[in-house]
Amino acid sequence: MGRAALLIFVIIYLIPILGVVLTSFKTNAEIAARGIWAPTGSLTVDNYLSIWRETNTPRYLLNSLLSTVPAVVLSIAGGASIGYALSKLRPRGGAVIFAAVIAGLFVPPQVLLVPLFTLFRSWGMIDTLWPIILVHSAVGLSICTLVMRNFFDQIPDSLRDAAAVDGAHDGFIFTRVMLPLARPALAALATLQFVFIWNDFLYPLAFTQSDGVRTVMLGLLAVQGQFTVAYGVQGALAVAASAPTVLVFLIFQKHFVRGLMAGSVKG
Amino acid sequence: MRKSRLWTALFLVPPLILFAVVVAYPAVSALRLSFTDSNLLGGAVNWVGWDNFADALGDKNVRHSIRITLIWTVAGAVFPPAIGLALAHLLQSSSRFSVVMKSALFTPLAVSLVVVGQVWIWIYQPDGLANTVLGGMGLEGWQQAWLANRSTALWAVFIAWSWQQIVLALILYLAGLSTVPAELAEAARVDGGNRWQVFRKVTFPLLAPVTTVVLSLVSINSLRNFDLVFAMTEGGPVRETETLPLLVFRVLLRELQQGEAAAIAMLLFLITLAVVGMFTWWGRSKSRVL
Repeated sequence: MGRAALLIFVIIYLIPILGVVLTSFKTNAEIAARGIWAPTGSLTVDNYLSIWRETNTPRYLLNSLLSTVPAVVLSIAGGASIGYALSKLRPRGGAVIFAAVIAGLFVPPQVLLVPLFTLFRSWGMIDTLWPIILVHSAVGLSICTLVMRNFFDQIPDSLRDAAAVDGAHDGFIFTRVMLPLARPALAALATLQFVFIWNDFLYPLAFTQSDGVRTVMLGLLAVQGQFTVAYGVQGALAVAASAPTVLVFLIFQKHFVRGLMAGSVKG
Repeated sequence: MRKSRLWTALFLVPPLILFAVVVAYPAVSALRLSFTDSNLLGGAVNWVGWDNFADALGDKNVRHSIRITLIWTVAGAVFPPAIGLALAHLLQSSSRFSVVMKSALFTPLAVSLVVVGQVWIWIYQPDGLANTVLGGMGLEGWQQAWLANRSTALWAVFIAWSWQQIVLALILYLAGLSTVPAELAEAARVDGGNRWQVFRKVTFPLLAPVTTVVLSLVSINSLRNFDLVFAMTEGGPVRETETLPLLVFRVLLRELQQGEAAAIAMLLFLITLAVVGMFTWWGRSKSRVL
């Protein structure tokens, strides 16, 4: 494809995204007069100011961050830990453990939702961020274990054995030798998990009710109902909600692709 | 040796407890619940055998949900992968400009389905982009309220979803194509094969493992897709776009029928296993041929 053709194609394909970004900088008067999709003459940041002042958006963003970051860290730490044990310490029954954890990849979220609602209710966790953190940490173990075990399998056993002969215990070998080597795999998983968990909508919708614990994806829908015609405000909130994942994605794109591929290679 | 066993336990037990409590135990308990009349209001729970499954399969609405979920999954396994593969062929180039363009083109994958839904609502609404473009082409007769019309709503949502999934297929196929040695296709060209023949006989078979991955991922996404449909139509108009994931959500959290919701979720699980199993088997048999 020639340069011009490629440029035009990419612009047309991204019209939905460009439309949201452009709308977020338009005045409501202009949108009312000419519609969402018309090109614009004047730009304004008023919509961003009004989501900041008139909606609970800062709280929504904070809630998303407070639920996403712990879940990303816990799922990767857990997956790396299981992966290392299965790959290098080879406990009896390791194959069964691996199969059970990987089977989690094929369980639809709806299956878990049915009993989890009752479980979290009995723990008094409904309408807090805890269910979101716990579910994503646990569900994420499947993909993280798969990727990390495959990664550690490529590291020769002799490396671990040599360190063990020198008297290092496995806690030391894992944190000081193996994890630094695993940086590419960890980066791939971190990118994948961050995008996936930040963007999730089902679990927050099922486990929270009040406005103060809404994540930004729920907030988006709530504001959409509240400001039915204020497209500019909706656009600004959509941009604010998407900025963290789009930035992470653009910066770590190579890792993201590698994570997708690694996760899908059967162990 | 004993010390190493202690470490093995320390590495395995904490994460496995989390997995057991939040994934394994609920999965088993969903299976058990699917044979009971349990509901979220409390009260006595009775074992009802296969009743929930029989009721579900006999219900016109559930059958509609199963049907549109399957249609979606089949269409999802055909269109986004095929278009993604075609685009990957066109975009294979490592010039600086093309790399930057591709990075931009991949962004839909980082955008949540809720946001995708919101912007596609703007495209489909009566004064939206779709109708404006049709008007501009003189096709006023085709203009309509895409998401409110029972005959167009499902496909309108499907197209919005495909817009994102095409990018997923594209990314994976580009990664796959970069591993296919260019000399191989060139040699086949020199031997007198035309472009299509070379693709069909050389490139595509070499891409079989990537195709398995693409089909499995896209199908799992089809069968899990809750966010986009909920954001765009909430299953409406009436129940036209109520796919199985939405149905489970409504039966559980609106009708509070836990047993029935569990049974429908189990049907969804079985469909997922069948579909992914089929593609994995296809992938295995393909790579044996190679």
